[in-house]
Amino acid sequence: MANEEIKSKLKAFFMSDLGVDGDVLNYDTPLFGEEIGLDSVDSLEIISFVDDNFGVSMTGVAKENFQSIDTIAAFIEKNKA
Amino acid sequence: MTSNNCRCVVSGLGVICAVGNNVEETWKNALNSVSGIHKTTSLDTKNCYADLAAEVNCDTLDDIECPDEKDRASKLCIKAAKEALNDAGLGDFADSSRVSVIIGSCVGGVLSIEKYHCGGKDVNEIPKMPIAAIASQVAESCHAGGIVTNVGNACAAGTISIALACDLIRAGKADVVIAGGSDSFASVPYSGFLSLHALDENGCSPFNHCNGITLGEGAGIVIVESLEHAEKRNAKRYCEVLGAGVTSDAHHITAPREDGICLLEAMDRAVKNSGIKKSDIGYLNAHGTGTGKNDNAEINAFHKFFDEENPTLSVSSTKVMTGHCLGAAGAIEAVFSIKALTTNTVLPTLHYTAEDSEALKAKAGQMDYVQNTPRAKELECVMSNNVAFGGTNASIVFSKKPGDVQSQVAKDKKIAVTGVGIVSPLGNSKEAYLESVKNGKLPESASICSTVTNDDYKELGIKMAFYRKLDNLGQLQTVSGMRALKDANLTVSEDNAKQIGIIVGTSEGGLGATYDFQELITEAGNAGGSAFKFPHTVYNAAGGYLSILSGIKGYGVTITTGPLSGLDSIGYSMNVIHDGQEQVMMATGTDENLPIITEFCQKLNVAADKVVEPYSNSNGFVVGDGSVSIIIENEDYAKARGAKVYCYALGYGNGRKNVKFGHISGSDEALDLAIKEALNDAGIGIDEIDAVCGFANGLKKLDDIEKGAYARVFGDKLASIPLFQVKERVGEGRAASAALAAAEAALMLGGELSEENAYFVANDGSVSKKKVATAGFKKILVTSFATGGSYSAVVFGK
Repeated sequence: MANEEIKSKLKAFFMSDLGVDGDVLNYDTPLFGEEIGLDSVDSLEIISFVDDNFGVSMTGVAKENFQSIDTIAAFIEKNKA
Repeated sequence: MTSNNCRCVVSGLGVICAVGNNVEETWKNALNSVSGIHKTTSLDTKNCYADLAAEVNCDTLDDIECPDEKDRASKLCIKAAKEALNDAGLGDFADSSRVSVIIGSCVGGVLSIEKYHCGGKDVNEIPKMPIAAIASQVAESCHAGGIVTNVGNACAAGTISIALACDLIRAGKADVVIAGGSDSFASVPYSGFLSLHALDENGCSPFNHCNGITLGEGAGIVIVESLEHAEKRNAKRYCEVLGAGVTSDAHHITAPREDGICLLEAMDRAVKNSGIKKSDIGYLNAHGTGTGKNDNAEINAFHKFFDEENPTLSVSSTKVMTGHCLGAAGAIEAVFSIKALTTNTVLPTLHYTAEDSEALKAKAGQMDYVQNTPRAKELECVMSNNVAFGGTNASIVFSKKPGDVQSQVAKDKKIAVTGVGIVSPLGNSKEAYLESVKNGKLPESASICSTVTNDDYKELGIKMAFYRKLDNLGQLQTVSGMRALKDANLTVSEDNAKQIGIIVGTSEGGLGATYDFQELITEAGNAGGSAFKFPHTVYNAAGGYLSILSGIKGYGVTITTGPLSGLDSIGYSMNVIHDGQEQVMMATGTDENLPIITEFCQKLNVAADKVVEPYSNSNGFVVGDGSVSIIIENEDYAKARGAKVYCYALGYGNGRKNVKFGHISGSDEALDLAIKEALNDAGIGIDEIDAVCGFANGLKKLDDIEKGAYARVFGDKLASIPLFQVKERVGEGRAASAALAAAEAALMLGGELSEENAYFVANDGSVSKKKVATAGFKKILVTSFATGGSYSAVVFGK
């Protein structure tokens, strides 16, 4: 799966499942910053989504990988089988 | 010392949980450190990382009248209530208005939701689903004819129920209250806590390994009685119930504040309201769920609160035996606390090794976390704490001595109505509602709903980082609540945050969100729940979100009793102010019309197939929704801050004649009673009432009850009394419509709604409608109903 496709899938997930407004969500927008405001409950959802859709486990993975769609996609890219 | 008319005593106990099916068995097993936690036998655990639960094992739950009409949560509760009544030497109350039922629950009839969804959508499951069924069916089982209500504050609901019971007795509204909580173990909470990674695969280990909770189930009941009533009948007296404290974290929908300061505030209120010293408390039954977040927040709060005056307090969590029984937890733990007090025995937290004990010392300091075996200790007072999703904190004190409880200290203060926030299918502001009244706008279809948009958020300055988390019910409540604060020109600050409270009234609360969650896990399995969606299933999530957004940190309770919850929120709020607990209260009514709600109404044959209006002798009503928030406050406080006053809340009353939950026919005269009580509470006669804001929705059997009661209480004068019916415009929005009726009364008395359609019932029962001017009204009666036979009334006046 191309990196762009992963990112677009992630963005769609943030919009449909975590209520994020697509207009302000760019691939490099900080997810846990003031504007989007994700928290620990949301990170559980991200982990579950990434596992189910890309077969990559992010459980216990360092925080910096969750910073933005870019970093999550990079992690998926690097770790997918 | 507490004056005799403020003294509340416990005269009976009942319990059912994984540790035992009655008090004797449960207590005996608890003393032997028996845990009820085992591998679950009732749920599918495929792909689930934790499979332990504390389930009730009882084969006599169906030994009650009409078991098929009751959810397991009601059955558990009726069993515990029967035991408690028996213990208290009480039986059938013959619809006495002095006997109340208040039951807390978190997930209510969630097993019936599952059964409906997975078992062919059987209409008979629908009435068993809402939390409101529980107290109603307990009342029906013993014919309690007083105030019947449910508290929906998730895991703190059991404790709040007992606190509310005492408030009602001290306000003179009841002599006996059957108070407690009930919840059953089911897929929704199991899957939900799994999705939050909040279950401990090895079984909960409070204040110890703190890896998560283990769910339990059960019910606990405490019979709370006025001293006078107990003395008169020479009743058994376990102990006194002293003061309680209820606060809101205003922090996070699932996680407690790390600093524990709002839990500390709840304990502080409980101690102050009890009129005791911190050092009088010998044992604290902690919430102690076993999650790191909860346990550390509690340990922090205990240190801050007790270290100076009571550093060696004994503390334990009994959840390691019972599991976390959610809405029943506080009630079951109240039974444990009372047994501990009366037998001078502190129950332990189980499963500590020598190494664990050593590790605990570092966290606990001098505090005595009792481990593994019970401890004999002379006890004067005990405290029980519970906290909940939505940020609720509750603390209550049981005592051998009467303490020094003050109540109704502000009873002589007038209560001003100072703000109104309206979200309805007609628009999301007071202005939009008034405009629609002016234009004579009517429903466009037989199922209508409110729609919150980004424009509302923008106008109210609500950021996306916040509103993205809200479910539909939360959207309705936060927008109406923030609009009410704005309308009242009330700014919540660090200085006043604790002086303001919220009571949310809702008929179905999180039922729609629970159904949504059930749909999800039916498809995805119990391992496939959503951590994002799960918090919305608790009925107090909407109130919790409002507290987080507004910063309100005082009293925070969600009541759920059917449509009248939107009026009872006002009545109970008046009581909170009269008790001197808060200066300002936001009373709300909030219910949503998701497609599943309309489906339920259609299946129950109460949904109209076209637009109908009140008194149209129809077979159904227009299904609606909304959220209406009303700010009421101590008049002195309102004056001091220069608030505009719409009108005054003068009195409230309730009436009940038991009929089956889901039904109303045969309960007619209970409405007369509610009206008389409200007039009495307001200290006025029926002749002073100029108009009524009622609850007719078009359904003939409901509208006839309303008309009949008015004919009896007003007599010949009825023909000239204008009856205003908000449901002609917004449909049957349950609690939202009840609160809207109250808001409409305030708007008329405040001069903001100068003209409105009124229905007039002639002496022959025929109904006519005409526009009337409202300027001359001085006092307005507001009424509402709930199935099961309960009615409420509130009087507003200039």
